[in-house]
Amino acid sequence: MSLWRAVPEPAAHPGADLAADPAADPAAEPAAVLDVAGLEAVLDGGAGVGPVDLRLAPGEQVLVLGPSGAGKSTLLRCLHGAVPHAVPARVSGRVAVAGRSVAEHGVAALADVVGVLAQDPETGVCLADVADEVAFPLENLGTPPAAIGPAVAAALGAAGAGHLAGRRTDALSGGELQRVALAAAVVTRPRLLLLDEPTSMLDADGVAAVRGALAAARASTGAACVLVEHRLDALAGDAGVAGLPGRWLVLSADGRVTHDGPAAEVARDAGPELLARGCWLPEDVELAVALGGAAGEPGAFDLLPALAAGAPPSRDPAAGRGEVLLAARGLAVGRRPAGRAARRRPAAQPVLRDVDLRLRAGEVVAVVGANGSGKSTLVATLAGVLPPLAGVVEGARPGLVVQNPEHQLAGRTVAAEVAVGLPPGPATDDGVTAALARFGLAALADRDPHRLSGGEQRRLSLAAMLVHDRPVLLADEPTFGLDRHGTADVLRALADSARAGRAVLLTCHDLRAVASVADRVLVVADGGLVADVDPLALLRDPRLLAAARLRPSRLLRRLAEVVGDAARLRDALAALDARALRATGAPDPAGAPDPAGVPVR
Amino acid sequence: MTALGARNPTVKLLLVVAVSLATLALLEPAALAALYLLGLMSARWGAGVGGRRLLLAQVPFWTFGVGVLLVNAMSRPGAVLVAGGPFRVTHEGLVVGAALALRGCVIGVATVAFLASTPPRDLMVSLVRHARLSPRYAYALLAGHRMLAGLPRQWATIRAAQLVRAPLGRDGRPREGWRGLARSAFALLVASIRASERVALALESRGLAAGPRTIWRPVPLGAGDAALASGVLGALALVVLMGARL
Repeated sequence: MSLWRAVPEPAAHPGADLAADPAADPAAEPAAVLDVAGLEAVLDGGAGVGPVDLRLAPGEQVLVLGPSGAGKSTLLRCLHGAVPHAVPARVSGRVAVAGRSVAEHGVAALADVVGVLAQDPETGVCLADVADEVAFPLENLGTPPAAIGPAVAAALGAAGAGHLAGRRTDALSGGELQRVALAAAVVTRPRLLLLDEPTSMLDADGVAAVRGALAAARASTGAACVLVEHRLDALAGDAGVAGLPGRWLVLSADGRVTHDGPAAEVARDAGPELLARGCWLPEDVELAVALGGAAGEPGAFDLLPALAAGAPPSRDPAAGRGEVLLAARGLAVGRRPAGRAARRRPAAQPVLRDVDLRLRAGEVVAVVGANGSGKSTLVATLAGVLPPLAGVVEGARPGLVVQNPEHQLAGRTVAAEVAVGLPPGPATDDGVTAALARFGLAALADRDPHRLSGGEQRRLSLAAMLVHDRPVLLADEPTFGLDRHGTADVLRALADSARAGRAVLLTCHDLRAVASVADRVLVVADGGLVADVDPLALLRDPRLLAAARLRPSRLLRRLAEVVGDAARLRDALAALDARALRATGAPDPAGAPDPAGVPVR
Repeated sequence: MTALGARNPTVKLLLVVAVSLATLALLEPAALAALYLLGLMSARWGAGVGGRRLLLAQVPFWTFGVGVLLVNAMSRPGAVLVAGGPFRVTHEGLVVGAALALRGCVIGVATVAFLASTPPRDLMVSLVRHARLSPRYAYALLAGHRMLAGLPRQWATIRAAQLVRAPLGRDGRPREGWRGLARSAFALLVASIRASERVALALESRGLAAGPRTIWRPVPLGAGDAALASGVLGALALVVLMGARL
């Protein structure tokens, strides 16, 4: 099923006759909802996008693809005037929405025809009450109050958030917030919907909920839609290419349009290049690129058994039998409510209790569980930055990288950031230089760390932690929000750390990342640790998967059927990554293992 | 909903201002004490502030009041009541000090009653409608208020993230001086500025502009508010008159 196609099929290529809107008079050619001609935008920092030409018929859906930094979000912001009206930039060319010139109208003056859903759920919702939030755009348009109530209820219903009416927005999860923001974006029944990576900051549950909500909301409004998304594998789900908009527009790294056409065609032509550039593609496209065949054909998954059987062993099977470096006994973890008054209250409720765990030298342990199940709290307690509510943590002081690398930034330059917390001296200088080189940051040494990309910031936070040389490394969602290359870099750094004799523990929502790096998986649910298994056993246990709210993709399910043990699963995934990279002509970074640590990037 | 909670926020705000101005005209401790008592009663039963919470909310005003009382009692010239060493307490000083202290307490309890009975959303909606406040400011303030509520948690997250690399002190706990706090504050500032830019864009893309707009669930202004206003103003006038007679 694809509700992305519940609207007229896209034009074969730009400039061709636009697909007819079945609702319109068949004799009249429908006017374009979006008309972009010769658009070029250069932001103050020098980044930019264009030239772009794009016409969208009523109800037409287009997916904008491109590597990190290609200007996808900038393009989207040009379409509703945020660039240049709110974000300064030099813009040339013409953008018109529903016949209105964006350059002459501000962002607010287009609010009746454009709905926007941004990436960050926390800042996409502005008011304290869910219903007020959804009513807000209608109030701004001067809608008669009597008509607002029913419209709010309808929009919340269409976004799968009807049950949230009357709730306070500060008590909602990311997925719930994003559905409320979606309701606020469609409540005005806009003719154009702009979706900027709407699921990239959500867990599997949130992605699934928002995916359904997007489909229903588009179907109910019939709006044309421009979608920017890099976690296409997650957004497409099991439907693969068919679960995405039917028209794809590909931007190159320098912001030019390289492809524009039907999804299957563009996936075939641009797939290898996109994969090489680090884009997350739907699994059927990835398999087609890596193993040959056409995207969308179910046969691609039948090639997996052969791949798994032929994959070379990638890691020493004796790993994970080292000495215990960190142990927790009878641990109860939880956050005390903030504020002085709260401290006088009796002890905080633990979110996890009776946790016993041991981390051994040389192993990588993943912690999985639903949002809010206490994974981050557990990691913070193990790291010693949060006192345990009960029990003890024994072992040397661990290192920790937190989910948002910006929270850890403390230096003015990249080099200074790595040196934070170390005594000044030549030994530190040498260590910093080596760490920068190892993580591919040497060229950025004098840059402001706040101005780096997400992937660069993540590598920086790992470099800055590993230079402290602590025996245990803890990482909270280290792959969150990264592109394919960024994820691969992080996983390789973690595996190298373990190989160098550390114990590594990470929390992770991404089952593929868990399966390709972890020796053991701890499952957190119902206020405690419910399982300590290897990744393959987790994939094969529907009860555990449900408890952790995890949904393995088709690729992982198929591999779990055909491999004999967890090491084979990891080898098969490594082989798939290597094949994908080879098919794209990129050098294979995992090709030459080095006991001292493979240079990352 | 409490009795005061059902009243119009703009009316309540104006009454708080009126009470504050009236206290400026009074220098009689007895009259001010009467006002303070009335204020405490309306906060307790009108706005439904719990006894313990009400008491705690008075602590800062009492602390301030004691300071004002002592300074005035011991520094104003007049009939000496008590003298010891370099200190002397005068009758005039005691009276003026008590009046000034009570003035602070009256304004304080009126504000507590107002804040406890007024949700921010109702205040802004009412100010836009009844006091012609620009919706751009009103909704920006509301969005800012929502962000403010999340700051303590974000601060705790950033502090924990930054303490990981801090050197350990003798007690085995991470040790960071004011530099560490400054770094954390900077990280919080950067995060807040980014977030506020995104919120501002979200408000604008939902059509928030200076132009005319409707209000879905308006805050009513009616006979009850007129009754409240006349009641409060009447009581004020009575107290001021009695104060003048004393």
